[in-house]
Amino acid sequence: MILGDLLGTPVRDADGGRLGRVADVRFVLDGTPRQLMSEARVLGLVVSPHSAASFLGYERINLAQPWPLANLLRWRHRGSYLVLWEDIAMVGKDAVRLRPGFTRYSASLEDGGRQRAGDGK
Amino acid sequence: MKRLLGVALGILTAIGGFVDIGDLVTNAVVGSRFGLSLVWVVAVGVVGICLFANMSGRVAAASGRATFEVIRERLGPRAGLANLSASFLINLMTVTAEIGGVALALQLASSVHYLLWIPVAAVAVWLVIWRVKFSIMENVTGLLGLTLIVFAVALFLLKPDWGVLAGQALAPAVPDGETVPTYWYYAIALFGAAMTPYEVFFFSSGAVEEGWTVKDLVQSRLNVLVGFPLGGLLSVAIAGCAAVVLLPAGIAVTSLSQVILPVAEGAGKLGLAFVLVGVVAATFGAALETTLSSGYTLAQFFGWSWGKFRRPVQAARFHLAMIICLLVGLAVLATGVDPVLVTEYSVVFSAIALPLTYLPILIVSNDPQYMGQHVNGRAVNVLGMAYLVIILVASLAAIPLMIVTGAGS
Repeated sequence: MILGDLLGTPVRDADGGRLGRVADVRFVLDGTPRQLMSEARVLGLVVSPHSAASFLGYERINLAQPWPLANLLRWRHRGSYLVLWEDIAMVGKDAVRLRPGFTRYSASLEDGGRQRAGDGK
Repeated sequence: MKRLLGVALGILTAIGGFVDIGDLVTNAVVGSRFGLSLVWVVAVGVVGICLFANMSGRVAAASGRATFEVIRERLGPRAGLANLSASFLINLMTVTAEIGGVALALQLASSVHYLLWIPVAAVAVWLVIWRVKFSIMENVTGLLGLTLIVFAVALFLLKPDWGVLAGQALAPAVPDGETVPTYWYYAIALFGAAMTPYEVFFFSSGAVEEGWTVKDLVQSRLNVLVGFPLGGLLSVAIAGCAAVVLLPAGIAVTSLSQVILPVAEGAGKLGLAFVLVGVVAATFGAALETTLSSGYTLAQFFGWSWGKFRRPVQAARFHLAMIICLLVGLAVLATGVDPVLVTEYSVVFSAIALPLTYLPILIVSNDPQYMGQHVNGRAVNVLGMAYLVIILVASLAAIPLMIVTGAGS
């Protein structure tokens, strides 16, 4: 699977209802330390109901300037959330299907993305 | 003392380096058709390029990343590649125009046909890029380009009616015989000529070449904030000369000889000698900058090692890319296409592509993870957002206006 192909794929819930599209894939660095950095592990997918375009960095909530741009991009991605990899039932070519009763985590990153995995509930 | 010299040298280089074939041709065309009624666009463009260069220079000094490294990181591979393709093609067009400009200027100096000068110009550009140190290359072409001040001298010697010129500049109106869409088409062309994207690729990559740190920011800001506006005054002098000599005679500029005609009339043979040196230096300097920019953008996007501070063997792909670009430019010019026409299109396409590089720089210059404490201040952001709107409007309006006006004819 090529990660780039996953971006923009429609996301559906267990009943086939449309939730949005994959806007981003979130990784955490908590694996075995290597020469440069730890191994990256997929934490989950960011689902955005209105736009599959990039957040351009504004998923980090400490980034608020210039405010017209920050607000515009946040508005484009209003209602977006993070779904953990465990909550994903199937990654298909045309759609990503989630398990029943999946949890919506906040998609925003605090402290420039340096917090621990799963903090933003 | 040494520091003062460094500042003076930087400013002089910025003045001489501001004008290229796009500024020469577009200002003369606009002067000969619209008088000084579009001078306000030069002012808007100069403030814009100061702002853009200030932000990209600060990003380069604070993060050590040049423009296309930032674009690749922030936009990702797909949107980044679309961005690269557009910016690169327009830059290639500018390379072609600049080399054509060098050849046309050499033709005026020697009476040898410009097509024969084109291979000479291209080889000279390649040799300088291959062999000459970055700082020497910058300073020599910048200082020689200062001889273009002869446009301002000629304007005084022509003894124009200053009241009429001031009236055109301060109360802009569309002259008789020109339409409103044509006026705005040339406004965008002039804006694109002043705010050419390559200037910023070159400026930020040059900052990395010269190993700037945040300590060098004061000097770089001074170079830009003093040098570019003075360069803008040179642009106005070019338009002024055309407005005084060519507009009343009903000559609309279509060739480089017409661009320098008012200097010959106002300042005689000596003036002509100066202006020829200036045009060759300005176009040659810009040919170096645009060729390097094509190498910079490609290498920064694809992650090749780049820079003149490395020996060519250590940045082989960077140098090979530039050789190929020069050959492509040569091939285009060999078809006999008019370099002045290529220039007129290149400035408009520059304006069209400007948002692609401006937006990522504006965003990253606000990102504390790249910039630390050197993020944009409030005033810069207000101005930055205002220019984002101007740049977007100019970019979106350019193609419709080009179609409506038949590219300004």
